[in-house]
Amino acid sequence: MTGVLARWWSSIAFRQALIFGALVVFTMTVLLAVFYVQTVGVWQRRVDSQIETTTQRLVDYDRRSGSPALGAHINALLGDGIDSDTEVYTLVAADGHLVAGNLAVTPDITTPTRSISEHSVLRAGRASQSRLSVTALSDGSTLIVGRDMQDLHELEKLIRGAIASGALVTLVMAVAGALVFRRQLERRIGTIRETAAQIERGDLAQRVPISAQQDEFARLSRDINAMLDRIHGLMEGVRHVSNTIAHNIRTPLSRVLARLYTAQNASNRAEALPEAVGFAIAEIQDLNIVFDKLLRIAEVESGARRQTFSAVSLNEIAINALELYDAVAEAKGLTLTHTLDAGPSVSGDGDLLANAVANLIDNAIKYTPNGGTVHVGTRREGPSVTLTVRDNGRGIPEEERARVGTRFYRLDRAVPGWGLGLASVMAIARLHGGSLQLADAGPGLIARLVLPATGA
Amino acid sequence: MRRCLIIEDDIENAQYVANGLRELGWSVAVCRDGVDAIGRAVEEAWDLIILDRMLPNDLDGLSILRTLRSLGRKTPVVVLSALAATDERVRGLKAGCDDYLTKPFAFSELAARIEAVVRRSQPDEGVREMRVADMRVDLIARSVERAGRSIALQPREFRLLAYLLAHQGRVVTRTMLLESVWDYRFDPQTNVIDVHISRLRSKIDKDATVPLIHTVRGVGYMLSPALTTRELTE
Repeated sequence: MTGVLARWWSSIAFRQALIFGALVVFTMTVLLAVFYVQTVGVWQRRVDSQIETTTQRLVDYDRRSGSPALGAHINALLGDGIDSDTEVYTLVAADGHLVAGNLAVTPDITTPTRSISEHSVLRAGRASQSRLSVTALSDGSTLIVGRDMQDLHELEKLIRGAIASGALVTLVMAVAGALVFRRQLERRIGTIRETAAQIERGDLAQRVPISAQQDEFARLSRDINAMLDRIHGLMEGVRHVSNTIAHNIRTPLSRVLARLYTAQNASNRAEALPEAVGFAIAEIQDLNIVFDKLLRIAEVESGARRQTFSAVSLNEIAINALELYDAVAEAKGLTLTHTLDAGPSVSGDGDLLANAVANLIDNAIKYTPNGGTVHVGTRREGPSVTLTVRDNGRGIPEEERARVGTRFYRLDRAVPGWGLGLASVMAIARLHGGSLQLADAGPGLIARLVLPATGA
Repeated sequence: MRRCLIIEDDIENAQYVANGLRELGWSVAVCRDGVDAIGRAVEEAWDLIILDRMLPNDLDGLSILRTLRSLGRKTPVVVLSALAATDERVRGLKAGCDDYLTKPFAFSELAARIEAVVRRSQPDEGVREMRVADMRVDLIARSVERAGRSIALQPREFRLLAYLLAHQGRVVTRTMLLESVWDYRFDPQTNVIDVHISRLRSKIDKDATVPLIHTVRGVGYMLSPALTTRELTE
């Protein structure tokens, strides 16, 4: 039993419904109590004041006309058919005999009292609860005026019964409501939990079914589904990345192993080995570079370097990169030009931005044939600063542009590289809250690194 | 004989570095345990300490370095670590290391950096002018003369030459040049440094009977009036 209770109590729906029910019961009780006091209490006070008025009238009557006349008047009142079910009038002479009235005379009711009080009496031969006012008259006789309260007591009982059954019904309804409410809530939450459990077991394709009702749960379910879609997308991305990474690391590794095994088993081992070792060293050095670049992209994507952002001049970075690449451009017969606007600084990581700019210039130089031009420009455009690298090489076909930022994607396998340059530039741009835009320079490529300006 | 302490738990790596250093004429001791290493690093006198970061029992090599520096020891320390992230590197330099090299590395790169670090610990400041063979370089006026003929250099070319001069007779790697002359802490894909060197060479060594800038195959460059064969090997 306690186990069941504990389980019910651990349900928020049940608790809420029960608390709500208890509040309703409490409100009902207060309401009925007020009602009871207002009706029964007021009625009793009205009865008392009526008794007082009548007593006063009869005392005055007695003073004016004497007690025999009062006896006759009482008989007349009892016989007039008005209020005959409830009225109590009795006049008892000083010697104790009944002059007129409808009460059986007993000593305890002939003792005058100060206030009106309730007595058990015999009224017209029937037992009755009556409120009585007992007054001693000047000639020694006693006047009793009162009202039978039987009907009022019946009403009281009725009201009490109503209150009790009302409270009981409310209580039952509250508990039943709590149970129903709990079950309903449990059912709605159950579908969400079921989906969550399936996802936990690894079935990421599951989604929470959305009910026809456009209520809070439908909205919550939609939010959860949107979140799941995002996670699913990210997981797919991670899977794709780890697949390409595995491919791009395992392939050179197997190449190295193959070459070394072959050399080891070759008949002319002495000649084959040094060559194989040289090959292995070169491949492993390459692998190391790829690994390093991947780790750097991951580091950038983690956002940790945002901690050390400071004001950086994009122009200084551009000049530094231009001075690094001018010799290469010259050697390749390219013209490297620049127009640097007096752009404001950006908030960022100087090393990373230098890396990004160097990557863009490096790419442009690599993909532009002899005699071509590479132009580097910086510009302030509204709230952002743009660094543009434009070349008149072969450019990137429109349909390929979306894919060039993917890790290991290479446009031309004949050009040396790892396919990580633009991926890293994009990651760096994202870290800085900016973007890398690629456009056609007709012919050639325009790469725009757009970064938010500081102090805009 | 110069003495070097290698603190490294991986025997293969430690032997590789130790053998290389012995060939360069160093006396080498290897310590594989971090706790012993603190004692040896502090109690004995070393010309160089090579320190791995991830040591047994979750000990970070940097704590040894901090202990050493807190005792006021200025022994040159080169950290070798697989932890390559920028903030790890910064942490290493803050702890007081003289250079931070990430694994894996070529021994030639390590050797070049060791030379730079060991010489740096004996500074020769206040030098205004340097002469190598028939080349005269005025470091204040930033002017260069070869065989009495003045040579015009761009500011960056002068910095490149000045760096080579400061390390004359020793190999400097491409990464070292990128770091010191361009302040780049990453490797551009293209061999930009080679092109700069050849441009500088065309200005300095053109028409000269004795070339001053030499390529050390697979490692980097060296500025020297005369070259021994040993220095040219990798």
